[in-house]
Amino acid sequence: MKIPVGIPVFVAAAGTDPKFAKMVSRWLVSAGVWLLLASAVGLLEAFRLVDPEILADHAFLTFGRLRPVHTMTMLFGWASMALVGLMFYVVAKSAWLPMNNPLTRLELISSNAALWLVNIGVGVGAIALCTGDLSGGGEYRRYPWYCMAPIFAAIGIVGVVFYRIIARRRVGAVYISCWFAMAATFWVAVVVFMGYQTFWKTGLAWVIVDGFYIHNAVGMWFTPLAVGLTYYALPKLLNKPIYSYALGVLGFFTHLVFYTVIGTHHYIHTPLPLALQTTAVIFSVAMIVPVWASTGNFLMTMKGERLAISHSYSLPFIFVGVLGYGFASLQGSFESLRSVQETLHFTHYTVGHAHFAMYVFVTFLIWGCMYGLVPRMTGREPPILLVTLHFWLALAGIAVYVVGLCIGGQVQGESWVAGEPFMESVRKTLPHMVWRSVGGALMLVSHVFFFLALWRMRPGAFTMAFTPAKGG
Amino acid sequence: MAFNIHTSHRLLFLIPAVSYLVLVAVCAVIPAMLEQQREAEVEAPFEDALLERGRRLYRDFNCVACHTQQIRGDEALASVIEGERLIPVLKADARFGREVASRREEYAHQQPPFMGTQRTGPDLSSVGRRLPEAQWHYWHLYTPQSVSPDSLMPPHRFLFTTTQPSDDVAADYEKVLNIEGLGLPGKELWATPDARALVEYLLSLNREFIEAEGLSR
Repeated sequence: MKIPVGIPVFVAAAGTDPKFAKMVSRWLVSAGVWLLLASAVGLLEAFRLVDPEILADHAFLTFGRLRPVHTMTMLFGWASMALVGLMFYVVAKSAWLPMNNPLTRLELISSNAALWLVNIGVGVGAIALCTGDLSGGGEYRRYPWYCMAPIFAAIGIVGVVFYRIIARRRVGAVYISCWFAMAATFWVAVVVFMGYQTFWKTGLAWVIVDGFYIHNAVGMWFTPLAVGLTYYALPKLLNKPIYSYALGVLGFFTHLVFYTVIGTHHYIHTPLPLALQTTAVIFSVAMIVPVWASTGNFLMTMKGERLAISHSYSLPFIFVGVLGYGFASLQGSFESLRSVQETLHFTHYTVGHAHFAMYVFVTFLIWGCMYGLVPRMTGREPPILLVTLHFWLALAGIAVYVVGLCIGGQVQGESWVAGEPFMESVRKTLPHMVWRSVGGALMLVSHVFFFLALWRMRPGAFTMAFTPAKGG
Repeated sequence: MAFNIHTSHRLLFLIPAVSYLVLVAVCAVIPAMLEQQREAEVEAPFEDALLERGRRLYRDFNCVACHTQQIRGDEALASVIEGERLIPVLKADARFGREVASRREEYAHQQPPFMGTQRTGPDLSSVGRRLPEAQWHYWHLYTPQSVSPDSLMPPHRFLFTTTQPSDDVAADYEKVLNIEGLGLPGKELWATPDARALVEYLLSLNREFIEAEGLSR
């Protein structure tokens, strides 16, 4: 077996426009800061599900308010900023733009402005939630409108910049990563608009929009960006072509059609129109097609590359992330079934699934792409020890977390079906709440190592030394 | 320009964008508009300032993070009695003292409806009938574990104020009685207007009565 050896990262990075590298790095470091904050908040919340008296005397730190601070900061501060930051690099590279001058001055300025708009939105959002303005209303859109407005503007800027980069590509075909990037920015703009419009804000009309929003915010934004990044990073890191380009195209279009209509599976067994519920269940199962088109594609690309993966510090993250994509989505299809929902809906199982998807799938792929691609842009590699600690602690932490909560959710749901007193289900799941805290603590520690590694990859004097004059 | 999605970024932008808008219209916009029409047939509820304030506090303390307001039904066992379609309650939801599942009318004109997706604590759609005593809710909000041992609910003590027996208290505060179990020796406990509003809202959650009216109609 041969280990594919690409060119050394400092050669790959040579000539990269330092302004571009700094812009991308700002997105990634901001994401890292939000990750640390949001995981600390999440861990505090996990502890409180074991002992509700922790920090209980302040209204602005109460459980109900910090929970959306955790979810919103993770979604918009961490995952969105990290994915967009990496996507700038991937779109520019797969459009074959000259890396010594990929973006125009205006594009650079607006991309930096977009970065600060998101940071302002997430920062003000956390304060607004803590002070009790949850007027956004629904799950994953708890921010009041004035926090979402700057984020919405940033999405617009990013979408236009992506489009312009792709439009001036120096290659005939548009690579599949760019398909996902371009589509996702448009899709999420529609999703955020739907989440914050004021035409349907009461009754079941609101609930329909809520189901749509919850699932499309995840599936038409995080999933396409994470999958799009992987379509670039995985072949690049293995130094070989993707197994099947056609499978990628199949995945793209089936994802578009199937994922859009499954939101109502969050509201099965409710008074919502039965046709809408059944459509959601059918297409949730059909999601196996796009998910395994891409997962299978990635796995087939990795086939026979065991040695390369075990010798790389970025590919293990991508390997775990790809498996996470396949199996978290499979779990989601299974959870949408009516008979399964009778027991598992409303339980901690759902929380376990949400973390499985956002962490093992999205977050591990982000990390893999960061460790794989950022050194090729800045010329600086992270210390292997930090990455190793990061990988194993994060993997152990999320394993304890997801397994603990999925078993706990099953116990909780079975207790309900058996007709035991409600408090019995609370007592029975207490050990699982403890496991959740243990897993969360391991994850938080791993994030500290990750942040240190990310900081070591930032563009610095080394990058500049290899930068020739502009226009070369 | 050849019609080739692989080489035309315009097509590549337009096709997913337009298809998405069509799908959004089919799966969200049109169903929402239809529901809105149905909602207009239900009479808007009586507006009460204290209730409205309680409802807003329920939203801003994010009670919906742990409490649902929906009793799920088993569609397969639906029956029609006197023109009303009744759906029996799912086994897992049967403990909350309701005979029929939540219905469309329950959520009419609520902005937003607190259906919820998580049930770390019990369902509250009929809590006003299960637990009709305001004083119980004051004890529970102050220290949930005092009335419900092993509860995981965070205490909401910031909705209350403690005083010495001799102190003056504003007129819109309500005294909490029988506070021996709350660990406040020699003190008095007062519910702030916020606590009163929140409890007023909780007591108003009495959904089976709404259904009973629906049945007799």
